[in-house]
Amino acid sequence: MTDKLDLVLERTIDAPIDLVWAAYTNPEHLKRWFAPRPYEITECELDPRPGGIFRIRMQGPDGFDTGHGNPGCVLEVVEGKKLAWTSALAPQYRPAEMASEGCESFPMTAIVTFEDLGNGKTAYKAVALHANEADKEKHEQMGFNEGWGTVAGQLEEFAQSLRANA
Amino acid sequence: MLARLARGPASVSELAQPLEMSLPAVMQHLKALEDSGLIRSEKKGRVRTCRLNPGVLASAEQWLVDRRSEWEKRHDRFEEYVMDLKDKELKA
Repeated sequence: MTDKLDLVLERTIDAPIDLVWAAYTNPEHLKRWFAPRPYEITECELDPRPGGIFRIRMQGPDGFDTGHGNPGCVLEVVEGKKLAWTSALAPQYRPAEMASEGCESFPMTAIVTFEDLGNGKTAYKAVALHANEADKEKHEQMGFNEGWGTVAGQLEEFAQSLRANA
Repeated sequence: MLARLARGPASVSELAQPLEMSLPAVMQHLKALEDSGLIRSEKKGRVRTCRLNPGVLASAEQWLVDRRSEWEKRHDRFEEYVMDLKDKELKA
C-alpha cells in the first residue's frame, strides 16, 4: 500500500510504552513537541476515539497564527498501540474544508503504531499519507489554470512516469 | 514529451517521432510547455533541442522532501520530549 507520496518513519526509543503513548496522545504533552520552534502550539484538542477531534492552533513570534485551526478527525485508537487521524475529515467524519495555503491546505492522514519491546524500550512507526498534492503544488507554482488542459494532461502522464521509474 | 525530456534533452523530431501527431501540433505543444516555463529550448542550425527546466522539476519533488523533513523533525522533538519526561519521572 506504500505510495511514493507516503512518508514512513520507524524508530526505537529508550522509554517505556506508557510514557511514549501518553506523550503522543495527551494534548498537554503533544503541545510541547508538535510545532517547530519558535512556533508554538497554543491550543490543542485531541479526543482519542474514532470521530474525535484533533485540532491545533499554531502561533509564532513573527505573527503567524493558524487561528482556531481546521479540526481534523481521529480515525482509530487502540490504546497503547495505534493512533490514526486525518485532516481530510472534520470531527465525526464530516468532510473537511482545506485552508487555501499553509500547513492546513493539503489533506494528510497519519497512522502511528507503537510496540512494547520490553526492557523499557518502545518501537514506533509513523506513516504520513498524502494525496497527489505534489502535483497540485507544482501546478500552482507554475501558475496553471484550467484552460491549459493539454499541458496538465501531459503533466499527469509525466508524474506517472516519474512514479513508475522511481 | 515531458516523460521523454525527464530522461534528458531531445530534439523536436525525436520528441515527435513516437507520437501520433503532426509536426506542427507537436511544435504547438512544445510552445505551450515553453511558455509555461516547464521546458526551454534552443536552436542550433536546423535542430531545436528541448530540455526540462530543472527548477520546475525540483518543485514537485521538493514538496515531498519538505514534508519528510517536517515529519522527521517533529519526531526528533517528540523523542527529545519523551526523554525529558522520563528524566522527570525518574527524579520524582
